[in-house]
Amino acid sequence: MTFNLHIHALDPHKSTLQLEGRLDAMTFGEFDREAEKVLQQMATGSTLVLDLSSLEYISSAGLRSIAKARKHMRARDGHTLLLNPQLQVRKVFDIVKAVPIKEIFQNMQELDDYLDQIQRRMLGEGEEVE
Amino acid sequence: MLDLVFPASLHDVFDTLVRCDETLRMAGVRDDVRADVRLVLEELMVNMVQHGRTEQREGTVGLRLTVAEEAILLELNHDGEPFDPLQFGTPSLTGDLADKEELGGLGIHLVRAMASDLNYTHDEYGNHLQLRFACTHLTEHDHDL
Repeated sequence: MTFNLHIHALDPHKSTLQLEGRLDAMTFGEFDREAEKVLQQMATGSTLVLDLSSLEYISSAGLRSIAKARKHMRARDGHTLLLNPQLQVRKVFDIVKAVPIKEIFQNMQELDDYLDQIQRRMLGEGEEVE
Repeated sequence: MLDLVFPASLHDVFDTLVRCDETLRMAGVRDDVRADVRLVLEELMVNMVQHGRTEQREGTVGLRLTVAEEAILLELNHDGEPFDPLQFGTPSLTGDLADKEELGGLGIHLVRAMASDLNYTHDEYGNHLQLRFACTHLTEHDHDL
């Protein structure tokens, strides 16, 4: 096993993809194919969580795949949040400034708090409109 | 010490990455240093496979890996088309890769960031890269000193 993608809680409004192993020039195609199936089902304004806690290693090929998924979500006014990147992955992200720091969370509690904030903000905006 | 010659194919590159990692692990090299070496080798050898092949054949890659005192030394030789990875400038990094239309040059940027020294030459035998990873605390045992 060098790479596995687990799809958790597939929901058009919020889905979680758990990446496991190595995302590199040999495995990125597998990620792209599986992620595409999920991305096609995501609704406008939805949230995609990439759980990186079991991702041991990433190279530039993997970085491009994650950027592609984030672009897709952005085109739908959605969010892509990254959960718990490990040391090697964090180091590579830092070197190429891959992702805004506000989109990376160390644990699920931080991420849930952030999503609650977004939801409250959206509800607030909705009330103002009414 | 590892001294290999293999076809410049993606499959052989990844077999070689496993062998290099195992050699470094047996030499007691720390996990984080091994990950850096793996990344640099992947980026450079995948470049050779993708950009260095001639019209007639995929070519051959030679790799020599030596664990010296406080450094890992690597030599890569490829008999393909001339390809100097150092000719590429630093990619513009905005703080978000999803901003970029074109995502080229990331691999070489990572190589430059992680290798202590990197040298490229080309002659009638092909492309030659020499790399050094300096590390004052190379092995896991150093933590006990």
